[in-house]
Amino acid sequence: MMNSGVMCNMKLLEYMGKELLSNHGITVQKGVVVSSVEEVSQKAKDLKPPFVLKVQILAGGRGKAGGIKFADDIKGAEDICLELLGKEMRGCIVNKILIAQKVEVKTEWYLSIILDRLSKCPTVIFSSLGGIDIEQTAKTDPGRIVKIPVNPLIGVKDYIARYIIENSGIDGKYMEELNRIIGNLYRLFNEYDCTLAEINPLAIVDDDNLMAIDCKADIDDSSLYRHPDILEFRNTIDENPLTIEARKFNFLYIPLGTEGDIAVASNGSGMLMSCIDLITKSGMKACAALDLGGGATSERIAQAVRTIFKNKGTEYLFISIFGGITRCDEVAMGVKIAIEDGLKDKTVILRLEGTNKAEALKISQSIDGNVIDVKSISEGVKTLKSGRKNR
Amino acid sequence: MSILIDEKTKLIIQGITGREGTFHGQRMLEYGTKVVAGVTPGKGGTEVFGIPVYDTVREAYLKTGADASILFVPPKFTAIGAYEAMDAGIPLVITIAEHVPVHDMMSVYNISKSTGSRVIGPNSFGVISPGKSKAGFMHDKIFTQGSVGIMSRSATNCYETVFLLTNNGIGQSTVIGIGGDMIPGSAFIDYLGMFEADEQTKVIVLIGEIGGSDEEAAAAFIRENIKKPVVALIAGKNAPRGTSMGHAGAIVSADGTGSAQNKEEKLMAAGVHIAEGTEHIVQIIKDLRCV
Repeated sequence: MMNSGVMCNMKLLEYMGKELLSNHGITVQKGVVVSSVEEVSQKAKDLKPPFVLKVQILAGGRGKAGGIKFADDIKGAEDICLELLGKEMRGCIVNKILIAQKVEVKTEWYLSIILDRLSKCPTVIFSSLGGIDIEQTAKTDPGRIVKIPVNPLIGVKDYIARYIIENSGIDGKYMEELNRIIGNLYRLFNEYDCTLAEINPLAIVDDDNLMAIDCKADIDDSSLYRHPDILEFRNTIDENPLTIEARKFNFLYIPLGTEGDIAVASNGSGMLMSCIDLITKSGMKACAALDLGGGATSERIAQAVRTIFKNKGTEYLFISIFGGITRCDEVAMGVKIAIEDGLKDKTVILRLEGTNKAEALKISQSIDGNVIDVKSISEGVKTLKSGRKNR
Repeated sequence: MSILIDEKTKLIIQGITGREGTFHGQRMLEYGTKVVAGVTPGKGGTEVFGIPVYDTVREAYLKTGADASILFVPPKFTAIGAYEAMDAGIPLVITIAEHVPVHDMMSVYNISKSTGSRVIGPNSFGVISPGKSKAGFMHDKIFTQGSVGIMSRSATNCYETVFLLTNNGIGQSTVIGIGGDMIPGSAFIDYLGMFEADEQTKVIVLIGEIGGSDEEAAAAFIRENIKKPVVALIAGKNAPRGTSMGHAGAIVSADGTGSAQNKEEKLMAAGVHIAEGTEHIVQIIKDLRCV
């Protein structure tokens, strides 16, 4: 029952988020997504130039990195796609570009709904100072940001928009439109199990209407079973290849940085974090963490060990298990299978406690490779420290 | 004494006829837990190891006067199971499943405020008062009866601590799995006062981690209301920012809210002893010489 603790948010690319907004009655620019230069002329033929082209990556600061460009015609759009597709930007590969009709923006606002863990309620956040400077505004001028919690048993009613107008200084003539947009965004937020649904900027465009120019949406991973359309998006998103590989086996792999040479694996994320804390405290650096979850078999453990050592910088693996559902002998056998099959140059520190511990020790001592048994987490950290010195 | 559950607590198991419900139901009975009824829709009128099964929680509650219910149901049915238990008037509802959608828990939390039920979990091993009763799937052999009250957001760090305490001859009064989710049904602050009032508990251990502000809220409460010594461990000091380490709750936001440093500072200012790791918790308790 207690399988791997893979649990976080899935972030949607801008175009995916805009598709959801549009489906929920919030106006977005007319646009298309391309993943090759050849597609541009066909897909963009019904759009009215000039165009804005935006790379679809999950990293922030696209504009500053040169990921947002303008074109006067199809040819111009093709040239930009040729230049940007396949390029690395902010650590991501550009696989998709959104081509949209350019609009005249008069004013930029900020609107979002977050799931606020402190109040345990959705919270609507609005600022009349939207756009790229919102984070700066949050620091220097927090009074310009209006926050109002939504009682989930009541939902969004019109007094939410009224309170925002009252406190943000924007013109009351937008009341009805803002109320409609907040209501629709809240509906999307609930329907899609969002932890964040953000429109930034929410712009007043040429005809005095409100339009979502950019958006972010984070969706709770645990809810994906009821959103098959979102699940389909998932594999199109650029991610660490080892994270994707681990997910296939229901493990959570988290890269921690390029500096360290120690990976840590455990059957729970709490213990993982504690081990990393102790490793860091003793002056070493961990480069990856892997949550095995409960009840892993030897084949799955072997797969986890292989995945971990596929990361080039990883020389050491510290496995700490407190087994109840996870059997220690299965873990030891998994390590044996993986290490003896081509990983003899790597070092594994094994700390196994709990179910079938004695059998596990027999197996680990029979391993042909660098596998060291330790009795506690602190002994494991000490062993790592002295082992790295001797190398 | 002990808190929340003891040898008199009458427990309902929702999902008793399922694989996990049956397996852990038996373990709980063997441990001495007073399991009085099970609930599985469509299986009303049957029995599982002599325990009557009902179709609804309301019926089970009316027939047995149960004090608590534990949900051995999949994550997608956890919210509805909790609603049913709360709606029937069960005062203590224990949810254990991993991967319960956070919107479901938001709803359960807010409804519990109106029904007055106490919800533990999800993503929790449950609760145990060693030697008396357990409501959960924890490995009970590592627990011993004694005077350390423990609550933890992490199961593994908690097991590790309990194991080390027991090996050092130090027992526990009640151990609560708060759970690792972003919105747990209840938090440290809901149990601090109970541990303070409990005669059996001499020292309180709080195992927290990065993310959220439950540790900070606990610190403020401890400062004003708690006289017993408190030992705290905050895991995740070196977890990457903005990334979940597998506990949905363990995310530090970009502005540093929920950081380990902030939590430790607030707890320390409230007179709490800060441990560097699970082994250190045991050392601090030994040095306190109060158990």
